[in-house]
Amino acid sequence: MSGASRMPRGPRLRGAVQAASLILFLWLLFTARQKPGADLPSFSGLFFWIDPLILVATFLAAHAVPVLLLSAIATILVTLVAGRVFCGWICPFGALHSAIGWVCDRIWPKSRKREHWSGWQRAKYYVLAGFIAMALLGGHWVTIFDPIVLLYRSTTAAVLPGLQWTVEESSTALFQWDLKLGPLKPSAVTEPCRKFLREHLFAVDGQAFIGSELILVVFVGLLAANAFRRRWWCRYACPTGALLGLLSIRPLLRRALVESKCTKCDLCSANCQGNAADGDGSGWRPSECFVCLNCASACRRNSLAFGWKWPWHREPVVTAIGLSRRAMIISAVGGVCTLWFFRSSPLASSKRLGYQARGLVFEPSLIRPPGARAEREFIQRCTACGVCIKVCPTGGLQPCVLEAGLEGLWTPRLVPQLGHCAYDCNLCGQVCPTQAITPLKLEEKKKFKLGLAAFDTTHCIPHAYGRDCMVCEECCPVPEKAIYFIETRIVTRTGEQRTVKLPHVDADLCIGCGVCENVCPLRGNPGIRVTNANESRNPANQPILTER
Amino acid sequence: MQRHSRREFLAHSAVAAGAFAFGVQPGSQLQAAENSGSGDMAVARWQGTGTPDEKQFKELSVKLTERAIDALGGMKRFVGRGAVVWIKPNIAFERKPEFAATTNPDVVATLVRLCFDAGAKTVRIGDNPVHDARRTYPASGIPEAVEKFGAEVVYLDRARTREMKVDGERLKMHPVFPEMIECDLMINVPIVKHHGLARATMCMKNYMGVVENRRLFHQDIATCVADITRFMKPKICVLDATRVLLRNGPTGGKIEDVEVQMQVAAGTDPVALDSWGAERLGMKPNEIGTITKGQEFGLGKMDYRSLALREVAVV
Repeated sequence: MSGASRMPRGPRLRGAVQAASLILFLWLLFTARQKPGADLPSFSGLFFWIDPLILVATFLAAHAVPVLLLSAIATILVTLVAGRVFCGWICPFGALHSAIGWVCDRIWPKSRKREHWSGWQRAKYYVLAGFIAMALLGGHWVTIFDPIVLLYRSTTAAVLPGLQWTVEESSTALFQWDLKLGPLKPSAVTEPCRKFLREHLFAVDGQAFIGSELILVVFVGLLAANAFRRRWWCRYACPTGALLGLLSIRPLLRRALVESKCTKCDLCSANCQGNAADGDGSGWRPSECFVCLNCASACRRNSLAFGWKWPWHREPVVTAIGLSRRAMIISAVGGVCTLWFFRSSPLASSKRLGYQARGLVFEPSLIRPPGARAEREFIQRCTACGVCIKVCPTGGLQPCVLEAGLEGLWTPRLVPQLGHCAYDCNLCGQVCPTQAITPLKLEEKKKFKLGLAAFDTTHCIPHAYGRDCMVCEECCPVPEKAIYFIETRIVTRTGEQRTVKLPHVDADLCIGCGVCENVCPLRGNPGIRVTNANESRNPANQPILTER
Repeated sequence: MQRHSRREFLAHSAVAAGAFAFGVQPGSQLQAAENSGSGDMAVARWQGTGTPDEKQFKELSVKLTERAIDALGGMKRFVGRGAVVWIKPNIAFERKPEFAATTNPDVVATLVRLCFDAGAKTVRIGDNPVHDARRTYPASGIPEAVEKFGAEVVYLDRARTREMKVDGERLKMHPVFPEMIECDLMINVPIVKHHGLARATMCMKNYMGVVENRRLFHQDIATCVADITRFMKPKICVLDATRVLLRNGPTGGKIEDVEVQMQVAAGTDPVALDSWGAERLGMKPNEIGTITKGQEFGLGKMDYRSLALREVAVV
């Protein structure tokens, strides 16, 4: 194969590719919103499709291979040939870490320690081993720590809503203050900005997500770890990185060190993003190398270069990561035990007829999006990436906290008080990268029952207080109206007779979209509530016989 | 005698010819249209039979609106030069126009054009829908139709209402959208619909889209609606009965509940217009709480026939 090349401009090219990748990722994220008359970009799930961890986990846990996820095979092939190029060049979360590391280097140049390979970098492989063992038994949990998923969810559920809150509140304050600074009027600038952002970036007015604090803490924590160790996440924790590391134990692209030229100045290691080598430049571990090309470009004596070698070539030597079999086994056992622990919760999903809670109890507020699979199948596919909660046009889809057990952390559920399931919308099913939410046609979706509404007659206004109300009936989107009223004679406190229209739910027609709960004048504790009873996806949770 | 443009002359001739062809007496009705002075209420009605096809429906909607406004004295009577006009259709629900849950977009677009022709500076369109405006607006087809004529479609911000003194029987202070108050003229252009609670929703009830925090209105809808109507001081309302929703309102969603009636009424009296609209739904005006309450409040006359009613035939 061809000879080694030094690639002095390598790092710059790599930085440009990383920036482009991060920008593409954010663009796809920002455009994942309802836009009347326009479909989402057809490749909006691109980064999920090329992510091998999602492919592997979904294949192992759900025994399913959504066709588009096969694109990840390309990533696997690239990794077999050239090592962790995905981590160093493509991964947008890695790019973000790179950027923050670069900034950290500028802020604290003197604190730039000469870090070398550390045994703690093996941790990610052990964690991955545990997760893979879990996936073999059907636990899909690993994907919530996938870097693409992490970045998508954190941006969607924590960063964007925070930005939106700031923009909305501050521009409204300036607008209402009506401040004038001589000839200047700040709202003349802020109002067009706000209008633009409202039309092109923010999906729903006042959008916010339950439990976004935890998502934000995890995200900021991972970014802040760069100050301690550059690309801490990628080196020590990332399960996708570990998977790709295992694939690149002996890649075709290898780093060669010309010992005669090397002065052991340590510049290569000081610039290494992945801590892939020992201090003197020897002991290069391809599994830890992001192919960032910093070493080759930093070397003053041209003693380092990347070049192509066939697998049977002994030279240049590569160093193994040195995983211990005992630790691998302990990790696998740990993963299995964790899954048992998850599944022993009363809120966990069960396989039997899709029962939850080991087949007995249902969490009534766990209203899954339209088209969601039966709970066990759903949880075996859902990556908790947050694309569905991003596109939901009413802001009603929210990340779970513990409603589906710890195994269902950050998976989507409908919270009708925050937003109902829009009748003419099936976006969540269209965007789900693993088809945990099946893509339904609009006609099918309109018939898919998310749950059932029920009046609480102890405080529903007509039922409890004898006054006409009917906001729920007015808003019910089912053409035949799933809420109907019966004119009933009631006697008031003074003995006067009065006719009140008492609302009732037609269990055959109600699809559980939750608009009734959303518009009920009683905020906080609505007089009508939707539970997941009657949900189409769970035959075991359909207690009411149909009459038609 | 005022001068007529060629277009008006042709339109009038067509009407006359059509009316003659259909055996309508070319006397009283047309006379009223020709003398377009200042009527308090005008009704434009299609004289054809059967259901018009899509293209014809659009053309007729435009023509009916033009003729109704003409008969009322023309848009110049209401819109001054350089005026800022707010047109308030009913875009409350996410439905396509054929389900008659939202105002006919061609009626709204025609009003926009007439406003600009009359010298308006800015025409804004907006409603405070029940569903999210980003879904109801595009579904209604109204933004697409009005932007062609240069109107500005406004997505109201619910965080930016202002408490205003409504001083009604029920409502004393209430959050109102200031944009809708701070204009020279509001043209209220609702659609005739059945309503599960109020029985019918037309001009008066359409003013509910001017305020926030209205879910509690339903417990005494007649008084609350009359309060808001009085607060808004209606100058002109255009009632769209090209399609009416006979049942399962105000949301609808079934094409069988929709009847194509091809009529547009315009007037200065919301109570009279609502009474006329109630009859389009086969109801008696005095059965409808908002109408009786409106008359009680002195907002208008239930007996719309006692007004200077001008009826115009359109072919």
